Amino acid sequence: MPSFFRNKRLILILISIILLVALIGFTMRDRDNLTWPEEFLQDTIGGVQTVFHTPVQFVTGMYDNIKDIRQTYEQNQMLKARVSEFKDLLIDVKELKKDNEELRKLLDKQENMSDYEEIPATVIARSPEPRWFKQLTINKGKRHGVKANMAVITGDGLVGKIQSTSAVTSKVQLLSGFDRSNVIHGVILGGEDGKDQYGLIEAPDDKQKDSLLLKKIPYEAKIEKGQTVVSSGMGGVFPKGLLIGKIEKVVIDEYGLTQTAYVEPAADLYDINHVSVVDRASYSPSLDEPPSTEEEEDSE
Amino acid sequence: MKRLLLPLTLLLFLVLEGTAMDFLPKEWLLANYYIIPHWVLVVLTYIAIFYDFDSTYYCVLYGIIFGLLIDLIYTDMLGVYMFTYGLVIYITHGFKKMLHSNVFVTLLLTIVAIVLADAIIYVLYSFIQATEMVWETYTLMSLLPTLAANVLFAVLLYPLLPGKLQEWSESQLKRSNAI
Repeated sequence: MPSFFRNKRLILILISIILLVALIGFTMRDRDNLTWPEEFLQDTIGGVQTVFHTPVQFVTGMYDNIKDIRQTYEQNQMLKARVSEFKDLLIDVKELKKDNEELRKLLDKQENMSDYEEIPATVIARSPEPRWFKQLTINKGKRHGVKANMAVITGDGLVGKIQSTSAVTSKVQLLSGFDRSNVIHGVILGGEDGKDQYGLIEAPDDKQKDSLLLKKIPYEAKIEKGQTVVSSGMGGVFPKGLLIGKIEKVVIDEYGLTQTAYVEPAADLYDINHVSVVDRASYSPSLDEPPSTEEEEDSE
Repeated sequence: MKRLLLPLTLLLFLVLEGTAMDFLPKEWLLANYYIIPHWVLVVLTYIAIFYDFDSTYYCVLYGIIFGLLIDLIYTDMLGVYMFTYGLVIYITHGFKKMLHSNVFVTLLLTIVAIVLADAIIYVLYSFIQATEMVWETYTLMSLLPTLAANVLFAVLLYPLLPGKLQEWSESQLKRSNAI
């Protein structure tokens, strides 16, 4: 190769770099809506993904299944012991629920921030670029009532939120992939003193760690390891009371004004197959109106 | 109809990349090893070596198209994979002209392509995103495992793909010799 950078090639490379910068600039803005070619391609390939995902899931699930079967006996014994405990709990919960409903009727307050409807969905792909994009694709979209910013849960707790939707598929941003522009307003359920403490959930600065950060907790608040963190419903999109995780440790933040807690997510963020998209029942300003540029809530 | 076989093969691997995380044991993921499947890139390298002649650039064209598709489906940033795959495959195609193709050259070129592509993607993403991984962590936790996994994939694919590609190349590229 006598002259690798002949003029023609140089120009071609320059043009492609300009194109790259333009494309990145176009897509880096916070977009709630995809352009129609994007939607079309995502839905088409979503269909192909659905076809392939089921058999692959079957094969890869085989190993886990075998492991499960070998542990069945022990698990069965343990669960039997737990079931009797739950029976008592169930009766308590039923009574409390009834009480709650009656009292609500008395107050004439029907709507509750913790009410929501679930849209069940199946994961059809996971982004192979886990360093930067912690996202999944699910098989429900606009046609099923999924909207951007809705919460996504599994049986164990919150896993993320809807990032963008097309007609029959949507992308889910996992909790560990959140950045500063989309945070969740969370609440630490009362410990010894019985007081709830509020804070903002962010993904860790160092994305290699998987514990989330709960920031801006008042300096005086007493928080202990093991306390439960749930969503507060104050952000306007998520319903109240979705389980997020447990406190791992608490530190004073870099300015010494507030505390930051490390939260271990309750849900398994790696092994996700079936999820539910949560549509909260009470009015949500950012879901029921044309979407604004603000995400869940601003951290500043 | 036969011309569609090549894009369909690529599409198959593109879709399978989305399920690749399921193949890895969960303990690895929890240990923060990042293994990124570059299966499409491996197939593209094979196309560059076994399908294309010195004067045809189908591999670069497919690289750009399928890079864009990866951007669209698996990331929210358009252009990164498109640019990287296009550039890397172009370079691979250039190297291939100089070297005679056999098993070792193929393996060498695949390694070069994977390392180049992963490094370029790393650099581009760390320019864009606020959070970043330091060089040492990247090399140890991400680049090396990724390279190992993808080379393994390339070796597994070696008995299957090159023969087919040469066959398609002879039947499809004889008449129209330029792009």
